[in-house]
Amino acid sequence: MSGSIISVRNASVRLNDHTVLEDISFDLERPSILMVVGPNGSGKTTLLKLLLGILKPFKGTVEVLGLNPFEDGKKLRRLVGYVPQKDKISYETPLKVGEVVLMGTLLKKAFPRSISKEDIEAARKALAYMGMENLWRSFFNELSGGQQRRTLIARALASDPALLLLDEVFASLDFESQGNLLSLLRIFKENRKTVVIVEHELDPIIDLADKILVLNRKVCAYGDPWDVLSEERLKPVYPCLRSLEKEGRRILILGDKHA
Amino acid sequence: MVISMLDPFVLRAILGIFFASLSVPISVIMLLRGSLFITPEISHAALGGAALGVLMETFFPGLGDPFPLVLIFCVATSIFVCRMGKGEQQSLGMMLSVSLAVSVTLYAVIRTYLPIDKRMVVDGYLIGDLLLLSDTTVLSLAAASSVATLATIIFYREFLYICFDMETAEALGLKVGLYDSLLFAISAITVAVVARAIGVLLSVTLLIIPAATSRLLTKNVSRMLVASFFISILSGFAGIALSLGYNIPTGGAVALVFILFFLITYFMGRIHHSRRLDGFLP
Repeated sequence: MSGSIISVRNASVRLNDHTVLEDISFDLERPSILMVVGPNGSGKTTLLKLLLGILKPFKGTVEVLGLNPFEDGKKLRRLVGYVPQKDKISYETPLKVGEVVLMGTLLKKAFPRSISKEDIEAARKALAYMGMENLWRSFFNELSGGQQRRTLIARALASDPALLLLDEVFASLDFESQGNLLSLLRIFKENRKTVVIVEHELDPIIDLADKILVLNRKVCAYGDPWDVLSEERLKPVYPCLRSLEKEGRRILILGDKHA
Repeated sequence: MVISMLDPFVLRAILGIFFASLSVPISVIMLLRGSLFITPEISHAALGGAALGVLMETFFPGLGDPFPLVLIFCVATSIFVCRMGKGEQQSLGMMLSVSLAVSVTLYAVIRTYLPIDKRMVVDGYLIGDLLLLSDTTVLSLAAASSVATLATIIFYREFLYICFDMETAEALGLKVGLYDSLLFAISAITVAVVARAIGVLLSVTLLIIPAATSRLLTKNVSRMLVASFFISILSGFAGIALSLGYNIPTGGAVALVFILFFLITYFMGRIHHSRRLDGFLP
């Protein structure tokens, strides 16, 4: 055991005979907020799946919260909250918001996954935190995009995870919901919990991130935000990147996105 | 001639519809899973199983009804399709074509070697007749549909999670592959039961219409399951009555009532929807 929160050593992942992650190595030593950025197809979601133990590396090792995701998967999954990309959800299945939030807790229980009073209380609390307590009985597929994201985040929070993995959660959130989520992440940080956020854009949480990992199948850069966010380190990943200086402040423009 | 409800033929037909309806709710889950289209296709595997079962019975008299072999064929095909297709629509379609080709070839080849009376048994799977069900067949249907119903009730939540968000379900530790295969296996049991009751050709009505109709009636999943059972049983009984009253084939009569039920529900839903919209107009 390395003693790190997350330790990935020379891990390579292959999907359908294509290497999607190659020789990835990084360590997250203390509870913190790690932001993973990179262009489309750079392997960001694959990295999350590697940390969850859904995908196994054909080379290298992975350790999360001191556990091997492939041998201690059951233990690890009890400690993790996960929010997938919105296109992974089936809107054809008419589940109610309460049922969706409870799913996060019940899936971590052994069969027959009976619902306790505490489970309902925790689910309602998580939903209330996202400002949606009055939507418990509403159908998930009838909510707005932002409300759906908040429901999924509440589902991840309901089981009080030690590690939260978020896959592009800021994408469809309005400013108010983004603000709620940012304050939630701040509380997570204060409570010494770890969050790994995969995002296309840097701006939503750039001030909050402790570490940034720039990924493009390989680790292009990893470290403290202001060390990583330099033109020379980001240029290989974002060829359209431009740097602007204004009143002593530096602005990086990643194609049409800016940091 | 007045035919009594207690006539053994009618009684067995009623029981056949009851047990077929009992296993139908899993089709609702398959509909939500986006895989309902495969169930009628799997019913073709029933033909291959029936042909092989009858052939074996010809060589080893005493083996009895070919239904257990039909069941095995349907379940094996369904799990094969599920595992090989890995749940993707395109791969599923390709695997279905393979299994369909194997089953239909098996049916066509074996049928030519069977004596005429045995051919009729195999053909009974193609165009079934509810009024000709035997006691043994009704018992087989009872056993198979009870297994399908119990499994649907026990694993309802797991199936629903797979339908809603397979990736998170897997991330949080659900054995998605196992439960998905189980879902496909139960669906295959339903297919076998329905194919035996009303025949492969008309099985699509019982496998798809109650699920589709129940979805028009309610948004609540558990209510959809219950509704699909009642739609199925009421339409089935009405179909039997129609068949006896007007002396038309039972399978066809049952299918007609199902379609009628769906159309009524669909148009009533449209009228209700347009009335609601009218309320918003000035």
